[in-house]
Amino acid sequence: MERLDGRVALVSGAAQGLGRTIATRLAAEGARVAVNDRRPSPELDALAEETGGFAAVADVSDPDAVARMAGEVEEALGPPEVLVANHAYMTMSPFVEHDPDDWWLNVDVNLTGTFLLLRAVLPGMRKLGRGRVVIIASEFGVVGWANASAYSASKQGLISLTKTLGRELGPEGILVNAIAPGIMDTPQLDVDALDAGVSPEEIRRRYAAESPSGRIGRTEEIAALAAFLASDSSSAFVGQILQPNGGTTRGPA
Amino acid sequence: MALVTGAASGIGAATAARLTEHGFAVAGVDLQPSAAALSLELDVTDRDAVREAAERAASELGPVSVLVTAAGVYEMTPLAEIDDERWRRMLRVHLGGVANACWAVLPGMLAAGSGTIVTISSELALAGGDGDAHYVAAKGAILGLTRSLGWELAPRNIRVNGVAPGPTDTPLLAQDSPWRDPAYLAGLPLGRLVTPDEVAEAVVFLVEEGTYFAGQTISPNAGAVI
Repeated sequence: MERLDGRVALVSGAAQGLGRTIATRLAAEGARVAVNDRRPSPELDALAEETGGFAAVADVSDPDAVARMAGEVEEALGPPEVLVANHAYMTMSPFVEHDPDDWWLNVDVNLTGTFLLLRAVLPGMRKLGRGRVVIIASEFGVVGWANASAYSASKQGLISLTKTLGRELGPEGILVNAIAPGIMDTPQLDVDALDAGVSPEEIRRRYAAESPSGRIGRTEEIAALAAFLASDSSSAFVGQILQPNGGTTRGPA
Repeated sequence: MALVTGAASGIGAATAARLTEHGFAVAGVDLQPSAAALSLELDVTDRDAVREAAERAASELGPVSVLVTAAGVYEMTPLAEIDDERWRRMLRVHLGGVANACWAVLPGMLAAGSGTIVTISSELALAGGDGDAHYVAAKGAILGLTRSLGWELAPRNIRVNGVAPGPTDTPLLAQDSPWRDPAYLAGLPLGRLVTPDEVAEAVVFLVEEGTYFAGQTISPNAGAVI
């Protein structure tokens, strides 16, 4: 008997990196996991096969696509009891030079995309009378980050959304919490490396050296927390922002 | 091996039981006898007694790899009535109890090159209280100590984090406590008290899988502080 036996989960941005690890972990705990990404791919299909789920293709910033996808997931697996909003888009640029369309794309994907996913799965959770929402924020949303104004604003927006929906949906038994991870070993680090003008290996070395724990985080560590928040083990957590970051960020969210 | 203070009742007892289920040999420290594999009766404000207890636990059950500090007392007292003795006692039990336990187990953890410490504070330390300033100050001090030790010891592969529960259904909460008032509870997003088991689950998560947390305090609080 595993913690998530018989439960349906939807993980967005699951084709690679953290989302993929989270989907695999939830499946290992018994969930059938619909794995979302914005483009179909053999990798996504293979992952869906592995997670007993469904390859749920949709651009999360497109309201019609998200609504269609939610319908397909419900048809294939039943209504998701667990939503992990993990998808993210990030570009870095000095604030005044940031292309406005691209600036808004950060917000539309990260913040509005999560709103659209929530709106799409909420009726199903209400039908079940229970739900778990895990929103992947970022330590950039807690402390800000130079040249990442759009991304940081979108992630702080997700933190505020988590707190508000914790209050608003908690009484219905739908528990919304967020994870604000520190630096993790994901393809996102390649974007940071590009911005800093150094190699991917060098950016990983630098971040590890700057962390009190002397290393960057593993996606498995964040996935373990996501599984905890998706399960009954976390039944008294609501509206909380958890910060696995190896000690890099001191402030509370 | 896990050393748990305040193991005879409430959150400490639930944590000791859950850690035992997860395969840990548990030594329980409390003024009262506990159900832990090794029950050590002593006062956590006594630094020497805590050190000797940790040494005995290590010799009987093996090196202490996990410390959970749940020992605590609570009383409501208006500020003007908190005399020196009440103030001192509250700080000695909470801040002193945590510090004494850390002093007792850290030499072994540092020598081993690994270890995990979880402190129990309170949502009142995050939000403040009304009529319990000495308790809030003492629990707030635990938050500060947790953060500082978390930072100081992360490079040594010792993880120090905390759990700040919401109002929890334990003997510490008197039957006429304002936190048992249905009108108060109805205002919480979850509309109920937290159970000791729910706090224990959070502790066990930090111990077993919270491997990238350092100096953090997480809050199973039914929405009392968001």
